[in-house]
Amino acid sequence: MTAPGEEQQVSSGFVRSYVITGGRGLPDAEDLSLVTLVTLAPESQPPPNPSPEVKAIWELCSGGYLSVAEVAGHLGLPVGVARLLLQDLHQQGHLLRRKAPPPAQLVDRKILEEVLHGLQVRFG
Amino acid sequence: MTFAQGPVVWALVVVALVAVGAVLRARAINVKLRRNHAELRQERDALLHQRDELHVVHNTLLQRQSAELAEVRKDAEEETKAVLKAAVRTLQGLADEQQVVIEKAQRKYGDDPGILADLMAMDHANSQFGRRAQGIAVLCGGWLGRRETVASVFDVARSAQGRIRHFDRVRVNGQVNFSVVSRAVEPVAVVLAELLANATNYSAPGTPVEINIQAVPTGVCLIVDDAGLGMGQEEKDRAAALLSPQAAISVSSLGIPPQFGFAVSGMLAARYGFRVSVDSVSPYGGVRAVVLIPDELLTTEAPPAAAPAEAPEAALSPAPQVRQPDQWQARAQSQPQHPAQAPAPTPLFPPTPQPDTATQPLAQITTTAGGLPKRRRKSPVSAVPSAEPEPVRSNEETASRLGAFQRGTRSGRDTTTTEGPEFQ
Repeated sequence: MTAPGEEQQVSSGFVRSYVITGGRGLPDAEDLSLVTLVTLAPESQPPPNPSPEVKAIWELCSGGYLSVAEVAGHLGLPVGVARLLLQDLHQQGHLLRRKAPPPAQLVDRKILEEVLHGLQVRFG
Repeated sequence: MTFAQGPVVWALVVVALVAVGAVLRARAINVKLRRNHAELRQERDALLHQRDELHVVHNTLLQRQSAELAEVRKDAEEETKAVLKAAVRTLQGLADEQQVVIEKAQRKYGDDPGILADLMAMDHANSQFGRRAQGIAVLCGGWLGRRETVASVFDVARSAQGRIRHFDRVRVNGQVNFSVVSRAVEPVAVVLAELLANATNYSAPGTPVEINIQAVPTGVCLIVDDAGLGMGQEEKDRAAALLSPQAAISVSSLGIPPQFGFAVSGMLAARYGFRVSVDSVSPYGGVRAVVLIPDELLTTEAPPAAAPAEAPEAALSPAPQVRQPDQWQARAQSQPQHPAQAPAPTPLFPPTPQPDTATQPLAQITTTAGGLPKRRRKSPVSAVPSAEPEPVRSNEETASRLGAFQRGTRSGRDTTTTEGPEFQ
């Protein structure tokens, strides 16, 4: 028998991702894209006996909008798995979601300068 | 007359003499025979004695032979086990390594449902392979591999669920606020997986198998119920013998194909000090298997929260350090309602590594171990990094600008107002 010191260390994850999804099919990536923002619907009650992942999502998303990618990162789960859990919550009416706001567009500096110039000429 | 009497007398004398002679001769023969008899008897006794001695020698030799045979068998068994153990140890290591690779791939390609599904199938096959390797290792007197952290009883059950083929038939019910101590995490998971494998293999496809977690006065019970045909008395006796092993189990006695389940469970239970029994009947008519984890193997310590995969291995530093993420954190907590006093904005995604917050409960996390801020609704933060020193402004100007900014971000993030195009 090996001495306890010789015991190898197991480094792989403990709960497999397919157990968390229950072996169900994964939703399409377009359904909840990485940058889709999600948050808890106001005054929704957590489902009875939530799994640890659902509990964690509940706590994460109660603080405001988070992107799908951020939720997956916080949970340490593959995005597809987080997406499925979020989709479940959304279908149960616990979750609001919307697309990320479009990135701010920089206005051409030249136009701004011309406007400033024009204003200065007229009022300055 | 005297003459006439003479011959008769003589005849009588002769007869008497002959008789005496015969008697004497007979006596002599008798004596000789007696002597012979005594000698023979003596000889026989000696031979008998010798025979007994030989018998004893024979017996001792037989005993020695059987003892030596047993020893040789034991040696051979031990040598086989040692070789097998060493070989399986490599397989265990490889299975674990492969699992880590698959996990990384799952996180990397997790956005693509097709690839992720394939990776999950690989993960599933690899988990079963790892469990088999662990089973052989245990039977050969090897070890399972050690986990670093405690795991909740619920997660132990789910981990066991992931190690069998028909995991989708298993339902885990009930949660208790206990964790299994780190050294018992793998053993309990492996035993539970073997019981689940038996339960799913010996019940009709499609029927559910339930794990019920129940706290009892002496610990926590994991109850596995299947809807199969149950076991006969003979099978129950065999199972009971394997589940409480008196001696090391011979690998060759497990049959072909080998049935390790109960042997592995019995050895692990004996080694780590928990109990396994399969002698009751489930409410669905099948077998009810019960794993009783005693208090010694339980702890109230909470398992660590899930950490992002790419978390930097920053040392845990409890003292607050002057770093931008910490400023962000401090501001988010202490001054959420006073944006007018907010100092210079900080980058939304600070590049500097964070103190490891993975061990804290999620509710307290404001930044993740990976350095990502946990966003909160009422703590607006500008995403523009301050490259230059702040321009000097009057207080009213600052207040009105920041107030406008806050109104803007609020209206942008408010859930009650108009939603984006995708809101349903």
